[in-house]
Amino acid sequence: MKIYATRSSRILDAAINIVMILTILTCLVPFIYILALSLSSPRAIVNNEVFLLPKDINVESYKQIFTYPNFFTAYGNTLQYTIFGTAISLFLMVLFAYPLSKSWLIGNRPLMKLVVFSMFFTGGLIPNYLLISYLHLTNTRWAMLIPFAINPFNLILLINFFRSMPVELEDAALIDGLDYFGILTKIILPLSSAGLATVGLYTAVFFWNDWFNGLIYLKSSQFPVMLFLRNIVNGTSMVGDAAGAADKSTIGISIKGAVIIVTTLPIIAIYPFLQKYFVKGVMIGSIKG
Amino acid sequence: MAKDKMISKHKFNKKYFMKYWQLYAMMVLPLLYFIIFKYLPMFGNVLAFRRYRPGMSPFGTEWVGLRYFRLFFKDPAFWNAFKNTLVLSLLNLVINFPIPIIFALLLNEIRNRFFKKAVQTISYMPRFISTVVVIAMCGEILSPSSGIVNIIRMHLGKEPIYFMNLPEWFRMIYILLDTWQFTGWTAIIYLAAISGISPDMYEAATIDGANRFQQIISITIPTIMPTIMVMLILNVGRLLSLGFEKILLMYTPTNSGVSDIIDTLVYRVGLANQNYSYATAIGLFSGIIGIILVTSSNTLSRRITGESIY
Repeated sequence: MKIYATRSSRILDAAINIVMILTILTCLVPFIYILALSLSSPRAIVNNEVFLLPKDINVESYKQIFTYPNFFTAYGNTLQYTIFGTAISLFLMVLFAYPLSKSWLIGNRPLMKLVVFSMFFTGGLIPNYLLISYLHLTNTRWAMLIPFAINPFNLILLINFFRSMPVELEDAALIDGLDYFGILTKIILPLSSAGLATVGLYTAVFFWNDWFNGLIYLKSSQFPVMLFLRNIVNGTSMVGDAAGAADKSTIGISIKGAVIIVTTLPIIAIYPFLQKYFVKGVMIGSIKG
Repeated sequence: MAKDKMISKHKFNKKYFMKYWQLYAMMVLPLLYFIIFKYLPMFGNVLAFRRYRPGMSPFGTEWVGLRYFRLFFKDPAFWNAFKNTLVLSLLNLVINFPIPIIFALLLNEIRNRFFKKAVQTISYMPRFISTVVVIAMCGEILSPSSGIVNIIRMHLGKEPIYFMNLPEWFRMIYILLDTWQFTGWTAIIYLAAISGISPDMYEAATIDGANRFQQIISITIPTIMPTIMVMLILNVGRLLSLGFEKILLMYTPTNSGVSDIIDTLVYRVGLANQNYSYATAIGLFSGIIGIILVTSSNTLSRRITGESIY
């Protein structure tokens, strides 16, 4: 389509570009600022000299968080929860989504209703909490993994994804003597990398970012790193223990910054690679039904 | 092969089951998951009508009827939380519902593909950041002693403000953080709807002499109206369930007057004070209001615009 560059059109373009540049800045500046804080010396932070560039660059706060045994444990816990949580989640969701994608299968409709209803009405905090403790999952790592294995939104996204696969593929495989397990593992899954990547990313991000369930279900040696960060921010957990009392708060600032950067980096790092998948994923998921 | 037509032809009998048993077998584990972790807690809501004593059955010990409902209806803490929830979510709806739509409309007008892509990629990013990180960053930026906002204020000769602690700033910070975190993400859905509009319509409008602004008003917005309505219904349905974790992280004793919402009340009463049945009653009440809001806005929307989510 050809657009004639009239004067009003040019003004519109200029206005849009300004808005968009401001958007980019508001999204990026907080990270740049925190990065600058994490790399600055306590002295520069005390004197309010840090803006968007680090002052007296040093990596002291990074060195320091790596000496905390707690931090390593928490980071390792989060890695565990993310890897196993995503694996369990994908396994269960694929198992459910594949049969549910066959709308001709008897029993499909009531099961779909079951799934959709659980998106709008949930058990609530207390019944869930009591269930987890009744099942003796509290203080075990399973409490982080099992209760959130299936997210109904992601499940429906995956169902829609499987539905978009050509039926002919399956028919041909059935004629060639493959059973449904075989079709799923040998044909559908290898072709579903986009769908699996999308749902996998959402799930991984969920497990990576989760802290509340750690707070109510786990003991401190099992805490995920986000809970570690939250405790630092809350002042529940001590930071900068080697420093004198006066220095503590300012050292704390750059340490907080360093923890923020280190815990967010993995997501920012994988995000651009998976971006092209999940935009498509969201669009498939946004189709109603 | 038109399998959809087979629905009416087939009956569920042994032969049918033997043919498709593998599909049914696949569903066993996930179905168990749904029954245990999604539906059992729903039935656990009977706790709201039964007295719970720790160590007893998870469904409580004896029936007490509406006792807990009567209790919280008389509780000023509940009404305060209820009011805070409504005010915060209505403000959030009024401000953060239109912003992604406007953002998507503007984004769609960018002609440089590379720039458009860059804006999109960067604006989604905050959606992937943990609430803990968002609040921690916000705390640093708004810190009264070292935060960049207050440093700038001091340079301008103004007094620093302890933003995160003051009740009058709480709502604004909450809402702006939502704008920051979710605008780009929510806009994808509208962009998807916009990209489905046929270019012919715009061409016709251009020939008719409509400028770009007029095209937005009379083509783009009407065509994405169904999407807007669906999103509105979903948002209205979630009116009582705010970002609970975010508020929990922003909660300080000083701002509690405005930051205590139904979910934090349930958390405090239930888990901190172990008043399980009482908290379940409050939780159930807000869950039911949520259901009523979804169904009524859905029905209303179907009557008025013909759009509905189910």
